[in-house]
Amino acid sequence: MSTRHNTMEGMRALGANKLRTFFMMVGTLIGIAALIVIMAMGQGAEQKVMKKVSVFGERAVMVMVGGQRGPMGPQANVTTLTQGDVEAVREQVTGIEAMSPTVMRRNMSIKVGGAQTQAMVFAVEPDWHEAWDWYAREGETISAEDMASMARVCVLGTSLADTLFGDENPIGKFIQIGSVRFLVKGVLTARGSSPMGTDMDNRALIPLTTGLRRLFNQDYLSQIRLKLKDAGQLEQVAVQIRTILHDRHHITPPEEDDFRVFTAVEIAKMIRGVSGTFSWLLTALAAISLLVGGIVLMNILLVSVSERTGEIGLRRALGATRRDIFIQFLAESLTITLLGMLSGSVLGWIVALLVRNFTPMPIMVSWEPFILAGMVSLLVGLIFGIQPARRAAGLEPVQALR
Amino acid sequence: MLEIEDLEKSFSNGEQITRVLNGISFQVSEGEYIAIMGTSGTGKTTLMNILGCLDKPTAGHYRLEGIDMVDLDDDALAHLRNHKIGFVFQQFHLLPRTSALKNVMLPLIYADDYPDDAEQRARKVLESVGLTDRADYSPAELSGGQQQRVAIARALVTNPALLLADEPTGNLYHNSGAEVLAIFKQLHRQGHTIMMVTHDLATAEHADRIIVLQEGRIEEDRKVERPRDAVMIPKAEGIGENKQ
Repeated sequence: MSTRHNTMEGMRALGANKLRTFFMMVGTLIGIAALIVIMAMGQGAEQKVMKKVSVFGERAVMVMVGGQRGPMGPQANVTTLTQGDVEAVREQVTGIEAMSPTVMRRNMSIKVGGAQTQAMVFAVEPDWHEAWDWYAREGETISAEDMASMARVCVLGTSLADTLFGDENPIGKFIQIGSVRFLVKGVLTARGSSPMGTDMDNRALIPLTTGLRRLFNQDYLSQIRLKLKDAGQLEQVAVQIRTILHDRHHITPPEEDDFRVFTAVEIAKMIRGVSGTFSWLLTALAAISLLVGGIVLMNILLVSVSERTGEIGLRRALGATRRDIFIQFLAESLTITLLGMLSGSVLGWIVALLVRNFTPMPIMVSWEPFILAGMVSLLVGLIFGIQPARRAAGLEPVQALR
Repeated sequence: MLEIEDLEKSFSNGEQITRVLNGISFQVSEGEYIAIMGTSGTGKTTLMNILGCLDKPTAGHYRLEGIDMVDLDDDALAHLRNHKIGFVFQQFHLLPRTSALKNVMLPLIYADDYPDDAEQRARKVLESVGLTDRADYSPAELSGGQQQRVAIARALVTNPALLLADEPTGNLYHNSGAEVLAIFKQLHRQGHTIMMVTHDLATAEHADRIIVLQEGRIEEDRKVERPRDAVMIPKAEGIGENKQ
């Protein structure tokens, strides 16, 4: 007798008792639906993380002054990060594609005519554009000549340009940063919010030399920005930089550092932190509901085996082998979990769409959870179906017919 | 066709061994209609289970068309049951919520090759038991007698060598029981070999031959006298019983 017929017999038995079939199915249904939604939420969250990381730069390393204080808050009063450090890194670290020492100041007052606003000012080298993959939308970027001549030129972020000039073209106009007048030579492309939520487009770039000598009157840096050739080297480079700076700044851990190194990897970890724990919890919940569903399924199947000993005995009398009975009952459990998987997938999909359309939660529905759901339900059907099927197959026909 | 030789069966509950069959021997020729009688506890169900290849004897031999089932494994016994034996039970044992037709087709799905004409065959045997118009009814929609006739059709669909009936009229009212016995008579006339367990003498006398069991032995094995063939067969002990 063929597996096909045994399977059909199993399905017929399910069809003949729809309520029991539904109860056996419902655990798998809920578990799979939960799994789909949770995975979609996880993927949505991850997509958001990757978006934020790409704002930071996927191959980026940032060195910032200041120790344990806020990750993105360079402290103006720390004076230990110098051009010497930059040169040491440039010499000793391989795999750097672009690098720019930077002086950064928040809340600089900026005026045009009577209008005044506040913005971040970055004094950078020409390589900064490449290190950030961030170029001018209009006009020009900071150049080597600007550096050499300590030119009083600036490139504006889009938000700042909008605030100061509105619909007017800012290029060729002058603005006043602090007490120095700068010529606007370009406007950057829009970058959006930083991973920490600040508006990255509310900024002005000026040449590093101009910043050090003419605006800030200092010889220390607040950041070094690096872009590596290979994202795989991020963590290794971070370690190298830490070693170089420990050496140059005479710091022996566990002494507190006067700088921090961030890589795209660490930024991603930082963003994931909370949401990661949350989604693990939910995944565990889905797994538990599948487990409970599987146990319920197994119990009902076991009960149904004892209820159906007469049927089993009859089938054996009519010529069914133990294998036939085993396959029939296993097919019943697999069919149930398959049905649970299908209906659970549909339910999960609908819930995911509702979440996407009616809540701000990031959610991404892709095909992977459905593949996983299929495999998981197959596994549940097998694991929790084998025991009842074996019990059914093990019945002696004489006992079963009594 | 059937050779039953020194059949013994005992059950053990761990402490004590109960002998249910205690050396049973007889032979059955093709086309015979035999009733097995005995009060309860005399081993007729146990004998029936062995004759149906549902259970194996503790000792002795049982050859069905020359095949000794004692030598067969579980799968081969299942195969033998499927091919050679048709069962009719006291409780009918029909699958609930399943049409008469599907019930009758059930043995065919356990055959080596599922026949292409399974449905036609099932309809044909249903016709032969007078249930042509009940093919799509489920057991709950049929009377007891009709259910038993479906069960008989199911037993016949594989065209078995031996039809085994265990108290086939035990759960039926008089009229339905008579219908079932009439069908058996007709099958007997068509040449089927039938063995029927019953405790009721009136039922047993429908058969040609009656074997009476008593405490695991054959007490009596006689031909049934018919008004027309008044050949007197003396009360005989089981044919093989003297060997012991």
